[in-house]
Amino acid sequence: MNQFVLMQGSAEELSLFPHILELGVVKNSYVQLNALPKAVMTGVKFLYILDGKFHWHIHNSEYTLFPGDVALILPGQEFGSSSAVLEIGSFSFLHINADLKGTDEIILDKWSSLSGNEIIAISKILLLSNPLVITKLNEAGKILKSIQQELCNQEVGYYARVNNYIDELFILLTRQLTRQNNPGRDFHKTFMKLDEALRKDISHQWTVDEMAALAGLGNTLFNEKVKSYTGFTPLNYLINIRISEAIRLLKKPHISITDIALDTGFYSSQHFSTTFKKLTGFTPGEFRKNNSFTE
Amino acid sequence: MKCIITIELGTNAVRIFAFDLNGIAIGSMKGYYPTFHTQPDYSEQDPEQIFITMLYVFKNLLNEKIHPKKYKVASVCFSSSMHSTLAVDKHGIPLGNAYTWADNRAKKEAIEIKESSIADAMYNCTGTPLHPMSPMLKIAWMKNNDQQKFQQAGKFLSIKSYVVHQLTGEYMIDYSLACASGMLNINTIAWEQEALHFAGITADKLPQLVPVFATAGTLKKAYQNSLGLSADTKILIGSSDGCLATLGAGIWNSDKATITIEDSSAVRVVGNKMLHDEKKRIFNYLITENCFVSGGPSNSGGGTFEWFAKQFGDFATAYDLESCMNSLLQEATKVPIGSGGLLFLPYLLGERAPIWNPDARGMFFGINIKHERQHFIRAVIEGILYEIYSIGKMLAEHRHISALSVNGSFATIPFCAQMIADMFNKPVHITKNSNSVSFGAFLLAATEMGIFKSLDEAAAQIEIADSYTPGENHHHTYMKYYGIFESLSNKLGDEFARIAELQ
Repeated sequence: MNQFVLMQGSAEELSLFPHILELGVVKNSYVQLNALPKAVMTGVKFLYILDGKFHWHIHNSEYTLFPGDVALILPGQEFGSSSAVLEIGSFSFLHINADLKGTDEIILDKWSSLSGNEIIAISKILLLSNPLVITKLNEAGKILKSIQQELCNQEVGYYARVNNYIDELFILLTRQLTRQNNPGRDFHKTFMKLDEALRKDISHQWTVDEMAALAGLGNTLFNEKVKSYTGFTPLNYLINIRISEAIRLLKKPHISITDIALDTGFYSSQHFSTTFKKLTGFTPGEFRKNNSFTE
Repeated sequence: MKCIITIELGTNAVRIFAFDLNGIAIGSMKGYYPTFHTQPDYSEQDPEQIFITMLYVFKNLLNEKIHPKKYKVASVCFSSSMHSTLAVDKHGIPLGNAYTWADNRAKKEAIEIKESSIADAMYNCTGTPLHPMSPMLKIAWMKNNDQQKFQQAGKFLSIKSYVVHQLTGEYMIDYSLACASGMLNINTIAWEQEALHFAGITADKLPQLVPVFATAGTLKKAYQNSLGLSADTKILIGSSDGCLATLGAGIWNSDKATITIEDSSAVRVVGNKMLHDEKKRIFNYLITENCFVSGGPSNSGGGTFEWFAKQFGDFATAYDLESCMNSLLQEATKVPIGSGGLLFLPYLLGERAPIWNPDARGMFFGINIKHERQHFIRAVIEGILYEIYSIGKMLAEHRHISALSVNGSFATIPFCAQMIADMFNKPVHITKNSNSVSFGAFLLAATEMGIFKSLDEAAAQIEIADSYTPGENHHHTYMKYYGIFESLSNKLGDEFARIAELQ
């Protein structure tokens, strides 16, 4: 494949696709100094290595990428070479316009046919995944190539196809990341990672879909595995973590019960109160009274 | 109809069983809680999550299995893993997480006391090996490294004492679990001043010492309501998992030993006096007056085999870890005793008994060009069990052992049970109740109720489900390899220390 770049604003092919900022293939045959300084990413960038070997800095970490590897850079993350050098080799890339809503949701505009919940789950997994480098993923290279071909050939239906391919890239990378991060042979490890993710963000209204996706499993299998490993359904296990955290907070005098409810992921102080009472026999207020001590 | 509930606060999960008064299990449930390893030697658990998980599982079990059938809960008996340490402030509020038995942060403190002039005296009066697992050393670590927490602490509890305090408001610890703290003088059954001095505390910082049959106060009103239990439900303090597994295996004042192999393992005997081991390798836990559970724990066991399966198992055809381990076991049976001269030292997590060397590491020894995959599989299993044999051998220096009772998920695999019989050259029995800790707790509670006159009588109730007799000459063959295993374990001290330093 020869080197080429389509850029939003100048390339005619992209006029129907305002969300595609840039795509193309870079072939670099000599080391270029100061060609790739570290910079903060706006939008989302996919890079697929075709040839050579690249040492890149992606979101706080250094990676070495080989042919077949994919790097994904999300909005706000740093990308570049620590020595600002563009090394010898070639890669194809796609840069699309996307922002973050809050800290944990990537906004894709109407062009995407992913549902709202799917986007939330995908965002969660991509943003929690570290590294965002996926090794040996030739399918990603094929999709990037297909996008380029559709844009150049402009056969009937190409608008829908290009957008579907971008969705497909998100799905493929998300699934592959969870698989890469959760080798099937070690559910204990997978579960510890999930446990850590839940604790880090206990105020989030976690769904089983999101939890299953983080563990890299389908819902049914996920439910079954969690049940046999912990004795609880995923949501009930989550309640354990929430109530444990709530108990810790209730024993401190200065945080209001409503704040505790919201901080620990309950919809409301009512919901918190009912769940807490059902489990412990105390209302949060009573529990606090029994455990508060004036010096 | 009356029933007895047993609550086991284990290493990874709480397991709750309900038994009718004949000892028939009428229900059981478990609830998992995580262990956090924030630094290499650290191993911590969240006391609030343990408590809430216990409460949740307890409530579910009562609502699903006990209340609908109109059982009346006569007593609730606790057991827990040993050596956990939790500092709470003067109001009983936890100061951070509990340190589990596997927490090794007090390595330096352990070396300090081992090399001090009081080491021998300390072992002779507490009966417990001097190792970082000991709460005495964990408290000393806190004194040396976390002054603020140490100063703020109103009490130093075990996880069990904390959970019981939540339920009843009482701070108590039974003799057997107190022994595991390294601070109980088993001759006088009082906290040992010298040990308290080393830890930097006074006796009022520890819970009240009580016999294993003691009632730990009354269930708080709110828990009576939410659990649907009456005020006269007895809350028994109970014992430790190790002691109860021994009772549940039916080994009581006899010439038998019990072998437990789960993730880690232990070999234990019961007798009316402490085993004074010159090398301080044997633990002695006082369960009732003049009754001691003595033995040695190993860090290797089923967990070691699980590690091997995860790394080298065939996951292309196996759908999960369990099926993978089963096919590995199948392959191991194809290799003759001794694995064609391939030996495995199972010290992936350092080792406690009998070598008590936290720096010990695993190895394969004797690999030659003819060894195949299945030799390695069998060598791993043999290595794990040679280690068990070495603990048995150490105990046999002090007491005659005529037969073995094995329990735990790894030891009761028929292939492993037969191998144990062959190595020890002694008959092996597997008891009917697969969960011997819970059954031991049932026997304790039933004895307290007067169903049995004594723990001896209770232990005699244990029924045997399976037996294995040693094969002819197998012991002799195994011992040829064991000799090399033993000398490697002892010889490599220096190399173990050097490689551990690099890891």
